Amino acid sequence: MQHKWLNNWITVILVLCGGLLVLGVAHNARLYQQPIVKVTRVLTHKTVRQQDEFQNQDKTTTQHLNAVLLNTAARGEHVSLTNTYSISGATDQPYHVGSQLFISRPIKGQQPTIKGAKRDVVIAFLLWLTISMLLVFMRKAGSLALLSVALNAVLFFVAINIDLSLKNGNVFVIFSAIAVVFAALTLWLVLGWTRQMGITLIATLSGTILAIVISLIVFSVTHERGMHYEGLQYVTVLPRPLFLAETLIGSLGAVMDESTDIVATLFELKRERPDVSAGQLFQSGRNVGRSIMGPLVNVLFLIFVADTFPMTLLYLKNGNNWGYTYMMNMSLGIIQSLISGLGIVLAIPVASYVASRLMKGREQA
Amino acid sequence: MTTFSVLVLLLFIAMLSVGGKQGAIAFVSLGINFALLFLSIVLVQFHLPPLPVTFVTGIIILAVTIFFGNEDDGSTTTAFYAAVIAMILLLLIIVPVEHWAQVGGFGDEDSEDLEGMSTLIGISFLKVEICTVVLSTLGAIAEAAMAISSGLSEIQEQQPTITGRRLYDDGINVGKQIIGTTLNTLFFGFFGGFLALFIWFVGLHYSLSQVFNDKVFGAELIMVLLSFIGVLLTVPITAAVAGWRWQKRAS
Repeated sequence: MQHKWLNNWITVILVLCGGLLVLGVAHNARLYQQPIVKVTRVLTHKTVRQQDEFQNQDKTTTQHLNAVLLNTAARGEHVSLTNTYSISGATDQPYHVGSQLFISRPIKGQQPTIKGAKRDVVIAFLLWLTISMLLVFMRKAGSLALLSVALNAVLFFVAINIDLSLKNGNVFVIFSAIAVVFAALTLWLVLGWTRQMGITLIATLSGTILAIVISLIVFSVTHERGMHYEGLQYVTVLPRPLFLAETLIGSLGAVMDESTDIVATLFELKRERPDVSAGQLFQSGRNVGRSIMGPLVNVLFLIFVADTFPMTLLYLKNGNNWGYTYMMNMSLGIIQSLISGLGIVLAIPVASYVASRLMKGREQA
Repeated sequence: MTTFSVLVLLLFIAMLSVGGKQGAIAFVSLGINFALLFLSIVLVQFHLPPLPVTFVTGIIILAVTIFFGNEDDGSTTTAFYAAVIAMILLLLIIVPVEHWAQVGGFGDEDSEDLEGMSTLIGISFLKVEICTVVLSTLGAIAEAAMAISSGLSEIQEQQPTITGRRLYDDGINVGKQIIGTTLNTLFFGFFGGFLALFIWFVGLHYSLSQVFNDKVFGAELIMVLLSFIGVLLTVPITAAVAGWRWQKRAS
């Protein structure tokens, strides 16, 4: 009882400290080198109708802003700025009293230009909200989930650094190796260093590898017809290995999720009925997998494809037909969903088989 | 044959042979969800308001994902109610957060893709961003709601005298068991897509302050965090709906 009470207090204190940190981020302008201002007055100047060559109607509005510098040597001085925003707001936005923004260094006799909004506060706030909800609703399970996500994020960052430091490194090869570490670390945190964890890890990796190998065979048989790598975004390295690496990492979590469920159920079954045969275990594994695969494939599909919404809309509004728009924006996400779907489905028999055989082996030994 | 059609065929064969009829239905649900997603983009293109469009297609996507390929009536109905409530609550969080963050549309990193395009299309990209976040989270909400409600219907079968209050507590416990793996599914699902962006940041030596104020990074990170929040909301809501429906049936 005492223990639980203490835990509650630790949670409350952590949540409060986090809140203070968010407040700190809202007033951290002096940590920045670039000049930051806070808007003190907004004058809406004029609104102009716009029409482009595709008959899209929009309006642009000009704002005159008065703002006060929050950092640099000129801290406290006032500047005036001009901002233009549109209804669509694809690359612009309106500013309000209290908005904090980055500007160019003020030069005498010249109006500084706006470089963009300061967004770290909202990110800090949302991080705080998510972590607080995890700790308050989920307690120990929440802190473990948080730890695993945080460690994976760090690992992700390290992996990218390793990848870029190897001059001729292949992104796909490097991230395949990293994927093994990702899976091992995550499953270790969820299950501990147990036989169950080992079996789940083998099942996850075999399912994923199987899906990737099958896709590579399909790629070579079909000569990648209909694959438009030019649709990939933010490409600074070779697109094909990048696409494969993205697919691999993207499906890893879902395959782990599913393998964990299947293997855990089979272990439970074995505990309750030690005389259960390997064949029966395999069948039960399939039954568990059958009901979770549909939702899981949909989870990844929605993540991969919904993300293309803004660019797809822009293509359609720029007079492109549905076919070209689909090809340039959505087709790669769909292929990704299909490959990871294969991984999710194939992991079911693999996990069931591996678990049924390896658990049997322990009994005989 | 194109790579796409061979992969579609292979996925269908795999789902059919592993999942039987249930697998085939799950495959169909994937197709319907794609059609719904494309339909909502086309409707927004024709200047229908993005938020109501997303709200309606969102509810249909949840229904398709939850009801297709699951036979148990009681637990799927609970999951559907819970998922819809979770979506509405999430919307109430998403709308103010996105208005505050202003990360709709495109950032500096997109300028190459935007070359030669007109961005003055008269549809608010902020609202489009809200739709994107909601739609990409629906799968995870549906999955979590299903996992909890089917776990609880198992408990109802084994202990028919359980109270609604106890059922709620059990629901939270099931939630604690799935939260770790579910968040990892989301983390990897989203981070797979961010790989290119992060290689860009590291390769071009962005400073930490540049990254945390970058529009594209902000949009992506906010999307991940909101999806985490969506799943976190789903747990107590599903437990409460299951407890409430159980209590109502008992009395």
